[in-house]
Amino acid sequence: MEEAQVVGLLVRRCVGGDAAAWEEIVQRYHRRIYNVCYRFAGDSDNAQDLTQEVFIKMYRTLNTYDAGKGAFMTWVTTITRNLLVDHFRKSKGDRITDSLDSAPSEHEDAQPLSEQIADRGLPPDAQVQSRETREMVHLALQKLSPELREAVILRDLQDMDYREIATALRVPEGTVKSRINRGRAELARLLQRTYKQVI
Amino acid sequence: MPEETKHGVECTEFEALLSDALEGKLSAARKESFEAHRRVCAVCGPLLTDVQAGRQWLRSLALEPVEPPVNLVHNILAATSGVVSTRTLAATRDGRTTPFGERAREWWDSFSASWFRPVAAFVRQPRFVMSFGMIFFSFSLALSAAGVKPKDVAKVDLRPSALRHAYNDAQIKVVKYYDNIRFVYEIESKVRELKRANTPAEPGPEQQKENRKNNTSGQPDQRQDRNYSQEYNQPVLAALRAGAPITPVLRDGVGDASPAVTVALTATTNRRFV
Repeated sequence: MEEAQVVGLLVRRCVGGDAAAWEEIVQRYHRRIYNVCYRFAGDSDNAQDLTQEVFIKMYRTLNTYDAGKGAFMTWVTTITRNLLVDHFRKSKGDRITDSLDSAPSEHEDAQPLSEQIADRGLPPDAQVQSRETREMVHLALQKLSPELREAVILRDLQDMDYREIATALRVPEGTVKSRINRGRAELARLLQRTYKQVI
Repeated sequence: MPEETKHGVECTEFEALLSDALEGKLSAARKESFEAHRRVCAVCGPLLTDVQAGRQWLRSLALEPVEPPVNLVHNILAATSGVVSTRTLAATRDGRTTPFGERAREWWDSFSASWFRPVAAFVRQPRFVMSFGMIFFSFSLALSAAGVKPKDVAKVDLRPSALRHAYNDAQIKVVKYYDNIRFVYEIESKVRELKRANTPAEPGPEQQKENRKNNTSGQPDQRQDRNYSQEYNQPVLAALRAGAPITPVLRDGVGDASPAVTVALTATTNRRFV
């Protein structure tokens, strides 16, 4: 049985009141949704709260899901994205590519990004493999604008295709590609500029 | 970005082809013109380099997804269906066993979240801090006024024998104090009685009248400590011999001539009515 059929069956059982089916859906998708929330929101606490909100919204609107209009994952991503944007607007966290020398707000006593990179002393290929480097990229990702951030998260971290992303974000596919490329380039410039400063 | 045509590809078109080029979806002819533009364009060449680098950085994040908290599924189910998961938390983590330290930390996190954080949030309120400060200040003032010093408190011996000893000492002090007060009262009472006994007899009314007439000093009369509630017709008794008959005598000669009342008395009466 294909993935889409399995999910469709689970959704029908869940709408019919089957608690076990709902638990199966939660088990299948909670990691993926948590990762999207974590990469977008930037910290674990907010990601946990947002993931719970996504599932609450899903639970309430599961009967509106139409398998003929798109994949279940696309529907879930749309819900997630809308909640993330709402969360971003509420928090008023305008973090559009600000200075790398400003420390992240959730780590008040943390070093600026440039100083974190200064501690490496390793070539870029070796840095990519390290956990600290992933954390550094994660911090740089938070400095992108929300539009660019959500696009690169869905494409490069969640491996969604352009059409699905366009459906989830409700923008044309060309816009999705443009945002993804701008997001990647902006992230690279942030990290490379800092890396050049410390060499 | 400048709208510049180089090798049949404009910069805007280069950007549109960028995603497909990275994923190897361009045809051979398209790829050739794309690469030719990249080599000569001062804007699009670095752009492609940046996009490739950014993609590589992001792929490094995708290699290791973040593991969600272990209680996330439980919390989601509790918030939605309200049905507690039939699977264990170990199953949620794909059968991995949790170290004791991690479980203890999770328990402590949930415990502190439910108890300490609300209390800490309340305690951090300025109103509470001000009230607590005022109470502390008042107690400090009261204790210092009472002579209690922190050094003395530190020296307090709390052994049962020492407490018993301190209790006995306090009890002895109280009893002594009470006895001293009683002794003083007794002494004062005796002295008062002796004074009364040694006080000379007050002159009679006739002599007082005489003295008032002869007083030319202009000073007011001395205060007379008399019992004015006494009636004129009350008898004044003097010391009598035992068994002698008593005849009532009325003051100033005023009174009725009632039959003599004979009373056998063996008592001594005071002349003054205090």
